[in-house]
Amino acid sequence: MVFNSCFDIIGPIMVGPSSSHTAGVVSIGKFGHDLFGTAPSVANISFYDSFSETYQGHGTDKAIVGGLLGFNPDHAGIKHAFELAKQQKMHFTFQLNEECPYYDHPNTLIVQMKRGETEMKFGGVSLGGGVSKIFLINDNPVDILLNSHIDYDRIRKKYLPA
Amino acid sequence: MDFQSIKDLLQHCQDKNVNIGELMLETEAAKTGRDREDIFEMMKERLLKMKEAIDAGISDPSPTPSGISGGDAYKMQKYKEKGSYLTGSLMIDAMKYAFATSETNARMGVIVATPTAGSAGVLPGCIFTLKENTDIPFDRLVMGLFTASAIGYVIANRSFISGAAGGCQAEIGSATAMASAAIVEMRGGTPEQAAHAGAMALKSLLGLVCDPVAGLVEVPCIKRNVIGTSIAFTSADMALAGLESRISFDEVIGAMYDIGKSMPRTLKETALGGLAATPTGEEIKERIMGKPCLKRA
Repeated sequence: MVFNSCFDIIGPIMVGPSSSHTAGVVSIGKFGHDLFGTAPSVANISFYDSFSETYQGHGTDKAIVGGLLGFNPDHAGIKHAFELAKQQKMHFTFQLNEECPYYDHPNTLIVQMKRGETEMKFGGVSLGGGVSKIFLINDNPVDILLNSHIDYDRIRKKYLPA
Repeated sequence: MDFQSIKDLLQHCQDKNVNIGELMLETEAAKTGRDREDIFEMMKERLLKMKEAIDAGISDPSPTPSGISGGDAYKMQKYKEKGSYLTGSLMIDAMKYAFATSETNARMGVIVATPTAGSAGVLPGCIFTLKENTDIPFDRLVMGLFTASAIGYVIANRSFISGAAGGCQAEIGSATAMASAAIVEMRGGTPEQAAHAGAMALKSLLGLVCDPVAGLVEVPCIKRNVIGTSIAFTSADMALAGLESRISFDEVIGAMYDIGKSMPRTLKETALGGLAATPTGEEIKERIMGKPCLKRA
């Protein structure tokens, strides 16, 4: 079961307009931020399917950048994520694609990010209602639900070069 | 103790002699080890956030940044003050509160997803309408959120709650079923009656596609939230009158899943079909988004 709590259904408390295309995407970005322990200096983001068709209307682009900056889904700064990223000298690009080759769901994205010498790639899927999952880290399939406790140290040890 | 179907849920309620809201609260406490009081307070915080979103929406007559919605909660308030409405005070309030929440959402204001942001207007619309029109105590409204979450929890785990995965039936359909069951329990109905209300509400919205104009959560999403409140109240009244759904709630949820799976991609939040693809829809998209600023891979 993916939805584990009454607060997965009544919640999150979040900035609109979409739980799957905004809030769930902020959480995916925040995973990248928390894994690095800081915002990346470069982020190349690929949107797939529904994300690539409707990202502008849902603020999906601002949501992923806001998450990479370390914001939570109810952060008022999400609206201004692009300006805030520029101030922090974070460079980001977007690429739009049709269906995702790695995971069969319309709300998927891949982030390739870099900070100093450290580089990594991860894939996230937004499952609805603000609940998201990481399905890929550096080409390894994983299954990390973002509405549960995440052991970042273990993930770093396993997937990030020391 | 956990439940994976409405049938399980009703069985647990019967075994423990509690209603659905109470069972959800107990289940959450058992799963997380948190105190019941803390969980209740967390839910109450969400109810208070819903109220803030409503207040922000009603007092704002301005259009949303896109210019295609906004100010309708304010208009409904003015209409109510004139006093010549048809459906009655209860329905006018529900419409007003649903508009207010969904307009706040479209303005990138803070809302509570119930179960999603696109469908965030239905449940607060119904709950604050009961507060306004009946003498229901505040704590009972909080318990109503637990009832609603139990229904959404089953739907989300058995089917889907996002428009991209299952169409609007998964969003407004789920929200309306949740609200309807919550109304029944807040009015003192039985868990069985709540389940019948939820089933009748979801049946009414099966097949509804997700076709947002320009990909914005505004047209037709906001008015579908408003209409959802009337289906929620109608289904609740039918259930409280003793009417039953001929098809069980679990089977209705299963039908929603099958329908969502066979729905074409153009009608699942891609803004490529339905109302999004009408001449007016295309024109709005062109005006708001201009030429696509990114090259497609």
